[in-house]
Amino acid sequence: MLLALSSPMLSHYLLTGAVLFVLGLVGFISRRNMIQMFLCTEMMFQGVVVTLVAFSAFHGNVTGQTFVIFVLTIAAAEAALALGLVVLLFRHRRTLDASAWSALNG
Amino acid sequence: MPTIADKLAGLWPEIVMLLGAVACLAAGLSASARTRRLTPWIAGGTMALAWIFALWTGIDADHPLGLGGVVTYVKCLVLVLGLVLLLVCAGVPEGLKQTAAAEGARFDPGLSVRGEFYFFFLLSITGVMLTAGATDLVWLFLALELTSLPTYVMIAMTRDRTVAHESAVKYFFLGALSAAMFLYGFALIYGATGFTEFGPIRDAVAVSSETGLSDPSPLMLMGIVLSVLGLCFKVAAVPMHVYTADVYQGAATPVTAFLAVVPKVAGFAALIMVLHLLGLDRLPEPVLYLLGAIGVLTMTVGNVLAFVQTNLKRVMAYSSVANSGYMMLGLMAGLGVPGNALGNGPAAVLFFLLAYGFGSIGAFAVIAALAAQRSPDGADHTDATGVADDLEYDDLAGLWWRSPVLGGVMLVSMLTLVGMPPLSGFMGKFFLIGGVLNAGFYGLVIVLVINSAISAGYYLRIAMLTFFGESSSAPAVILPEGRRGPRVVGAVIAGIAGLLIGGLPGNSVVRNAREAFEPVPAPASAEPETVQAAADESTASAPAVARSQAAGLADAVPTP
Amino acid sequence: MTPTLIPWIPALAAATIGLISLFRSEWNRFAGALCAGAIGLSFVLTLWLSSSVGSGVVESGFYDWISFGSGDNAFHAGFSWFIDPLTVVMLLVITGIGGLIAVYAHGYMKGDPGYWRFFAYVALFIFAMTTLVMADNLLLLFLGWEGVGLCSYLLIGYYYEKPKAVAAAKKAFIVNRVGDFGFLLGIFLCYQHYGTLQISTMLEGARETLAAVAHGHGAVTATDVWIPFLLMVGAFGKSAQLPLYMWLPDAMAGPTPVSALVHAATMVTAGVYLIARCLPLFELSPYALPTVATVGAVTALFAATIALVSNDLKGVFAYSTVSQLGYMFLGVGCLSTDGAVFHLVTHAFFKALLFLTAGSVMHALAGQLNIQTMGGLRHKMPVTCWLMFAGCLALAGVPLTAGFFSKDLILGDALAYAVDHGSVLFFALTFLGVVTAFLTAFYTFRLWFTVFMGEEKFEMGDEHHAADDHAGDHADEADAAHDDHAHDAPHEMPWSMNGPLVVLAAGALLAGLVLHFTGGIEHAVQHSTAAVFVDAAHSQHAGDPAGDHGGEHHAYFLGVDAHVFMQVLSSILAVAGVVLAAFVFWMKREIADKAAARFDKLIRFARHEYCINEICDAAVVLPLRRLGALFYAVDRLIINSVMDLMGGLPRWLGMGVRPAQNGRIQSYGLTMVLGVALLAVLVLVATGG
Repeated sequence: MLLALSSPMLSHYLLTGAVLFVLGLVGFISRRNMIQMFLCTEMMFQGVVVTLVAFSAFHGNVTGQTFVIFVLTIAAAEAALALGLVVLLFRHRRTLDASAWSALNG
Repeated sequence: MPTIADKLAGLWPEIVMLLGAVACLAAGLSASARTRRLTPWIAGGTMALAWIFALWTGIDADHPLGLGGVVTYVKCLVLVLGLVLLLVCAGVPEGLKQTAAAEGARFDPGLSVRGEFYFFFLLSITGVMLTAGATDLVWLFLALELTSLPTYVMIAMTRDRTVAHESAVKYFFLGALSAAMFLYGFALIYGATGFTEFGPIRDAVAVSSETGLSDPSPLMLMGIVLSVLGLCFKVAAVPMHVYTADVYQGAATPVTAFLAVVPKVAGFAALIMVLHLLGLDRLPEPVLYLLGAIGVLTMTVGNVLAFVQTNLKRVMAYSSVANSGYMMLGLMAGLGVPGNALGNGPAAVLFFLLAYGFGSIGAFAVIAALAAQRSPDGADHTDATGVADDLEYDDLAGLWWRSPVLGGVMLVSMLTLVGMPPLSGFMGKFFLIGGVLNAGFYGLVIVLVINSAISAGYYLRIAMLTFFGESSSAPAVILPEGRRGPRVVGAVIAGIAGLLIGGLPGNSVVRNAREAFEPVPAPASAEPETVQAAADESTASAPAVARSQAAGLADAVPTP
Repeated sequence: MTPTLIPWIPALAAATIGLISLFRSEWNRFAGALCAGAIGLSFVLTLWLSSSVGSGVVESGFYDWISFGSGDNAFHAGFSWFIDPLTVVMLLVITGIGGLIAVYAHGYMKGDPGYWRFFAYVALFIFAMTTLVMADNLLLLFLGWEGVGLCSYLLIGYYYEKPKAVAAAKKAFIVNRVGDFGFLLGIFLCYQHYGTLQISTMLEGARETLAAVAHGHGAVTATDVWIPFLLMVGAFGKSAQLPLYMWLPDAMAGPTPVSALVHAATMVTAGVYLIARCLPLFELSPYALPTVATVGAVTALFAATIALVSNDLKGVFAYSTVSQLGYMFLGVGCLSTDGAVFHLVTHAFFKALLFLTAGSVMHALAGQLNIQTMGGLRHKMPVTCWLMFAGCLALAGVPLTAGFFSKDLILGDALAYAVDHGSVLFFALTFLGVVTAFLTAFYTFRLWFTVFMGEEKFEMGDEHHAADDHAGDHADEADAAHDDHAHDAPHEMPWSMNGPLVVLAAGALLAGLVLHFTGGIEHAVQHSTAAVFVDAAHSQHAGDPAGDHGGEHHAYFLGVDAHVFMQVLSSILAVAGVVLAAFVFWMKREIADKAAARFDKLIRFARHEYCINEICDAAVVLPLRRLGALFYAVDRLIINSVMDLMGGLPRWLGMGVRPAQNGRIQSYGLTMVLGVALLAVLVLVATGG
């Protein structure tokens, strides 16, 4: 057990990635603050990033790491967009509660 | 290996689009009002030019999956639909209060959204073209994001109502969730094979010698499953369909038309590519189960939800969901017998996209050209004077008698969506059902037909109202010339296209869709890899032939 | 390109008229000119085409209409044309007579509220009819076939506020459905048998089989025997032969120019055209052509007897049309395609003329149709009177008029056929034809003498033509001049309407003479269908030197050439019929009245179409109606409740799913994640199993 922990293997990294991803998922569903929700999606992306890097190391090529760079870029773009939208909404209702925005339904 | 220069040479249409997009941005911010008014023309010209380039660059014979024809077909398809959409969307930024403020006495570039709108419009369409042309998972991911990100902004900025912001936020958050989903899938595919390029991935997937079907490792399978589920968001399929009606209703109607068509094309192009990593002709059973379940659930949920709506945009939104369900079944059907359009499921999907696209654009364009007068209720459904562009069934009552053009387009759109022969929607469903039958999924065909019958319930209700309806309240009026822009023209073109591509040159469009899947004759200097791929092709088609013969459809065609 | 333009110019005109009515209704008055102009243009193009066709064949495509599959399973049906002299003759009749009738209708329909609608339908009809005769495959032919059926339905029901017209339109449509069903089955069988619907390929196949059979190897299959019978059903339906004739007399509820164009000159001859075009298919079955001939001859006599007693001005001509179509079928039935087509052409002239003059009388008498209320109208309407006289001469087959030559060619060929084959059946059929010829002369002149000769009398009908009501509204001088006494007395038609009639009258009197001695159409048609006869085992024509007139064969009956014999016989009968009619209905009216009283019951019976409609009602309509009532009850009680249940199902389902769409992002996210999880489990299960 200790040995296993002292020399982390592929599965450990993958598990870390998956846990990050699922935490993000759970957070997205349970949080109501829009900024927190957005950060949760970021966390899901980071879970994927960890997975990609782990695979990259496992396969011994850098394709996965290249992928990571692009994922981070997209994440940054999404962050800008998300904050813009959140600010726009906040100006209307003075609240960050996502459940305040359910006029459209059915 | 193709060099960077080779890759770029195949991307001329996209390069043209990007340049045009930048030109739109610049023109929209110009100090001269005349130049600003030119922006939509630049956008249209760009797309037309890109179309020419797409035809001129031709089919990529070296496509790693042998889908060079599909790439060109999708590019042309999205550009044609994009041109009609531009007619519907032109005038949207111009009609905003913000634009009026920005272009008042002194032009304020900080407030103007005109350039941005057309910029994002072109970028999103470029995203679809890149999606179709992707040969690498990284590229595919970036292209899909390029398709989606501009649409979030387009929704938020094109309507002077808070519902638009709500709709943008829902679309964005759920879109990010789904993007994470298919990104995780891509990561697993990379993990399972060690590649992100399509060609090597496909070569790495084992083919079972016993059944002739792909036999992916569990990791690969999970990667494909997650990718497919994530992509379901783009095409609005169950379980990722939940956002559809809310987002479509909240967005300005012309933008809704855009949302109903463009991401869907991107989604199906991406699905075809991802599934062809396993081989569309040799999908393993679990994937078939997945696609079948998604298809059945999607069409059923879409249709039953559309059935209980009263708001036209919500009806059309769920109709869009249901149509994705039909097309999902097409993806399962395999490529059929070479040379025969009847039996090639994915080719039917490509044609169906066109038929569905024109039908939907027609309907949305008609809705966009109308407005209803209501009492201002303060609930944000109307503007300050009580004018609502969110129409209910009753608002259409007797539309034909007030405007034969709009009423006629609405009628044609509904009939083509319901699949009335000889309209294009009929041809689409005909080929789709032919493909699914050919593959032997009789149960799914029955579900599809029942669902078509349910859909007739609401499509024909709209068609009937257009002619015979009597409205209790004041019916919708046609927007004045200045406020509706060229929407009526767009509606008419969509209507005529929906009317004709099924009947007149419909065969040639179908043939194009079918030929898109046929291997391009490899150039003389074919490298060993290509030969290997071609060999795979031939082994892959064997079970398909066997399957189609088992289905007995071939026997239905009499032999002299 | 020229062939393509011939149907599409009228189609374009129809579309234009429709669009005008939608968007520029103040231009509706140009509809007539547009329609007539388009048809005229088509006529000119046809003339041009006929010079390039000569006696050969022109094949040309417009576009690939339907195309499926590849290799052996490929199915193609093009919007493409096959034009030989037979087609050209048909085209000349359709566009030529059609153009004249459109000009006449321009005056006739003036002031009608549905003016534009009428001409849109007429132009559409010309499109469908020309497509029908030019089609190079059966599917396109069927498109035209259904197209003319649709236009016929629309035009019969043109006065849709009259229940009678609506009922007649429905009747025409439904009776034609029966025929079309047979035709459609025939087309299916043709595809099954020949693997294509290209007419030329099919005929080639049929000729090969014929030749093989003639040389003693190869056999006629059951399919070969069935195909002509199925096609025949279609032809009988469209051309109003027994037992599917009963829609045509009712179809006279449409405007008179329609009766002239659709139900006399063109559409009803489509059946004759079909059989003439597909003759080799019919020759394959030993029973097919005798059946056609028998049905034709019996119909001819049957309809003539009804025409003899009918008092309806248009009804007489309607039954006479049925009767004359019977002659044409007799003609194709005895392999006299030239006779049938010749009669088709001459009939188009004189029957169109008769209908249009009848229309003039009707127009003048405000819709009056009962000839017993008329008499001595020659003073009021001199031009109409003598125009109709010309038409009547031709219909009666008085020597040297058009009807004389064409009818006698058919009867002569029939007699020759009977002599050649020693066929008792054909002797009997020829006899029926001769009797009909006499009756034709008699009933035609019964009508003419009753209406135009004798004491002057008339009763106005109950229709007021808008043209009369708005006297002086339009600047038509001829009309205005007559409007002075328009309301209480019949008046002559203006020359804008009589002009086309003069052309038709000239055709009715002279066309036969010209065509007979130049051999024009006859030669052309003979030439185009000549190949048909070459391998026909049971045709004696093959061995003949083709040097003499149109390949005509000399058979001798009672020592006289059959054709000469027939010409003399029918000349005598025609003149006798006319004289007898003059005697009974002009000079000594009381004889007619006495005879009418004597045979009152018989006449009533005949006038009632021998109760055919009642028999048909009892045998077909009533059982169907009972069955319908039964189905309706089942539908209401069982299916409806099931359907209500099923129709409710989507609604309940929708209502059930709807709460999930609560508008909250979190709950949407949850739905998505749960859905993904469920589907992933499904995949896991599928992998495990």
